[in-house]
Amino acid sequence: MTTQQVSILVNGVQRQTSTEVRRTLVDFLRDELGLTGTHVGCEHGICGACTVLVDGEPVRSCLMLAVQASGTTVETIDGLGSPDSLSPLQQSFRDSHGFQCGFCTPGFLMTTLALLRENPDPTEEEIRHSLSGNICRCTGYQSIVEGVKRAAKAGLGPNAEVAQ
Amino acid sequence: MSAMPSVGSTRTVGSSTLRVEDLRILTGRGHYVDDVKLPGMLHAAFVRSPLAHARILRIDTSGAGRLDGVVAVFTGRDIAERTNAIVPKFVPDGYKYEPVFALATDKTRFVGDPVAIVVAESRYLAEDGCDLVDVDYEPLDAIATFEQALDPSGPTVFDSFGSNVAYETSTTYGDIAAAFAAADIVITETFAQHRVAQMPMEGRGGVGNFDPATGELVYYTGTQSPHTVKAYLSEALGVPLDLTRSVNGDIGGAFGLKIACHREDIAVCAASQWLGRPVKWIEDRNEHLQASGQAREERMRLEAAVSHDGTILAMRGDLVLDQGAYPAVPFVGGGIVDLVAMMMSGPYAWRAFAMTSTVVTSNKCTYSAYRAPWAIETWARERMIDVVARQLGLDPADVRLRNFAANDGSATMLSGDTLLDNSCAQSLERILDTADYRRLRAEQAAARAQGRCVGIGFATFIEPAPGPVNGKGGQEKSIARVEPDGTLSIFTSQAPNGQGHETTLAQIASDEMGVAIGDVHVYHGDTAASPYTAVGTGGSQAATMASGSVLHSTREVKRKVLAIAGDMLEIDPGDLLIEAGYVHPAGVSSVRLSLAQVAQMAYVSTDNQPPDVDKELRAEATYDGGIGSWSAGSHLCHVDIDLETGQVRFLRYLVVEDCGRMINPAIVEGQIRGGVAQGIGEVLYEWSAYDDEANYLAGTLMDYLLPTATEIPTIEIEHLENEPNEEVFYRGVGEGGLLVAPAAITNAIEDALSPFGARVTEQYLPPAKILELANVISEQVHAQ
Repeated sequence: MTTQQVSILVNGVQRQTSTEVRRTLVDFLRDELGLTGTHVGCEHGICGACTVLVDGEPVRSCLMLAVQASGTTVETIDGLGSPDSLSPLQQSFRDSHGFQCGFCTPGFLMTTLALLRENPDPTEEEIRHSLSGNICRCTGYQSIVEGVKRAAKAGLGPNAEVAQ
Repeated sequence: MSAMPSVGSTRTVGSSTLRVEDLRILTGRGHYVDDVKLPGMLHAAFVRSPLAHARILRIDTSGAGRLDGVVAVFTGRDIAERTNAIVPKFVPDGYKYEPVFALATDKTRFVGDPVAIVVAESRYLAEDGCDLVDVDYEPLDAIATFEQALDPSGPTVFDSFGSNVAYETSTTYGDIAAAFAAADIVITETFAQHRVAQMPMEGRGGVGNFDPATGELVYYTGTQSPHTVKAYLSEALGVPLDLTRSVNGDIGGAFGLKIACHREDIAVCAASQWLGRPVKWIEDRNEHLQASGQAREERMRLEAAVSHDGTILAMRGDLVLDQGAYPAVPFVGGGIVDLVAMMMSGPYAWRAFAMTSTVVTSNKCTYSAYRAPWAIETWARERMIDVVARQLGLDPADVRLRNFAANDGSATMLSGDTLLDNSCAQSLERILDTADYRRLRAEQAAARAQGRCVGIGFATFIEPAPGPVNGKGGQEKSIARVEPDGTLSIFTSQAPNGQGHETTLAQIASDEMGVAIGDVHVYHGDTAASPYTAVGTGGSQAATMASGSVLHSTREVKRKVLAIAGDMLEIDPGDLLIEAGYVHPAGVSSVRLSLAQVAQMAYVSTDNQPPDVDKELRAEATYDGGIGSWSAGSHLCHVDIDLETGQVRFLRYLVVEDCGRMINPAIVEGQIRGGVAQGIGEVLYEWSAYDDEANYLAGTLMDYLLPTATEIPTIEIEHLENEPNEEVFYRGVGEGGLLVAPAAITNAIEDALSPFGARVTEQYLPPAKILELANVISEQVHAQ
């Protein structure tokens, strides 16, 4: 198999390694870096569970190859707050009972992070539109929308929540 | 002894306590099956049939076997030689089935039927290997529709049946002939329910780990029923039960699909057994869409015997159900028809009901359980009541209110089962009041005058959560154990997959014990630790059954704690309380023992205690469901239809729900809203489509459409909280949302389209069908 060197700044840590050129970014993150917070839901770019931020933009990491991400900055759910120190975004979703099974959660968190950086005070319509590329099968979305509103109210600035 | 702490109430039942589970799922630290990584682990992928019905002539695995990194390829022949066939366990009398193997042996019976498993050093290589497995098929005519399945001259999916009918049965409650003879009018309609899918965001998967040294098989997976998976693996692979274990981590949704043991589970574990190495299989979405499970393909013809005043005397039903090719195990899909018949009269006081049922086999994916598997009865009944109202020129609310059975404990169902706690009339009255129904009707008239297409629909349900117990409600076990540091461990038979049982059961135990919720941990999903159950998490049983069991096991271990503390304090245990983790006499704050002190006495102290004090701080309890009763409720929606695009917009969606006392209101509301969202998806977007030759047509999420945040409206919920007259007064809410939502939505759509004379007889109403019903486009334009 053809391999290639990649260099990616993942959650604040520079990662340099060689990987198969056909390996997707999500498989690279999960299998090679052990960052299993990002989930694989459909492998064809519809469900949004694998959403990560690449240079600040939400990206389907199942549709991007790891080699394409070389030279970029990648943020994943693994770099947000920890269980004993939830970030305001995570705390807002917890306070809203945002999720149930947790499988779609990484994608919603990263999509929301990108939204609130760009638009710190979104309307409900803007929130729903922003989340419309992420599928949740458990909640009916209302609790997730409430979580985004709560996070916005908590006052996340444009530079907040930079993954460590 | 130490000073009395400042004791705040630690009681949490009834409050939206924050979920224990969220600390890990919000931080990316959940542990789902694809996160399992074992030393020496191999990866599996399946070769699947592209044909709906075909004879396997030859399989050439040599190309795959030569590929670097491929470790082994097993075909159906290998499986048949080395495993035992799979047999369903819960089968009605007269139900036909053939034992089957994990992989197809002689022929394939649906698109996606697994014919070989390729095991390799990575998933990528396993898929490469699949591409190199060469299978020669002889295509056979396929069964795709009810008509084809019922045609005796057609091909058979299982030749030993002699036809494609797997099961026929009939049920009669009451004097059906007399009730029909007394009717002023008989109204007939046929309702068709399309095939949909559960579609959890995490598909199926597992890691089989057979240890040749010990003979032990551990299967890491995500199942609603760990003991079922364990039993099937043991039977198929010949591994004794004491050496077979099924272990869950977090589960990314299940919705009924994962109550079964799947053929792939067995193939993956068989591969591990033969190779002596761990083997992982993670289903991809295309496999999931075509081969995991599908649900709800039924057609019901109903005749209603009614009086001019809207009294429904009786109904007669004729049900056909397409269970696909292979029956689900252990619960065969076709077995649901008896529950459909029993539930059909729901909360209504009919004189009689009769139903004939036919379960057919086809060349489609396995019909499997989906949230409220018996739901055809609620949809068909609640649609039929609207049809009755329309034909008699009555208001559908009045027809329902006229026909509800009493809710004073005197009424029973036609089956003789209890109707205790059936607050349907109360919920319907409340929802009409909240919606300001009369004003809505006036507004509808005004909107129609302006050329808008708006409709109002509602429907009512009862949910057997737990339902009539009658000694057949099953037994729910749990274990409570006080640890040496005074914390409390709870072991439940539930296998949660999003319902938050780690939180709700901890709430129950925490309140009963008198300890902080943070000092309770709920263990589940591991057959080595979880008490045996034939089911697991399903049927919305946890709220009553698991809560009741945990209440009683905690109470029993608390009794033991108080006995030891009483001896230590030389106070009658009956005079002691536990609050905030401390034992103290009622009303006395100067004397107290921590639970840790008591536990230390029990576990390690050599101090003498009277021989009658039980020092094992562990208790097991079984709960039988008590009196058994119902959750109940009504849904109402107000829709606006765009006759240019055929799109349905929700102006308002209301729910009035009665599930007794809520353990955790936020979790209750999450269950309801999630069910409603699936109901909206089912009616407007989702269809596991096959063509007339049983080719599967919805292999991606661009074909199988799931609703997103822009399609699901705000869902308003009111709670009645009528508490059943017993100690365990919590009722389940897992299924009611999806059970009744399609009825409320389709009733609203028919109401909106009534100026066009539309009759909604199919549940699937995508834009093209809406425009057809509104006479904007002609029939069949939307068909594939």
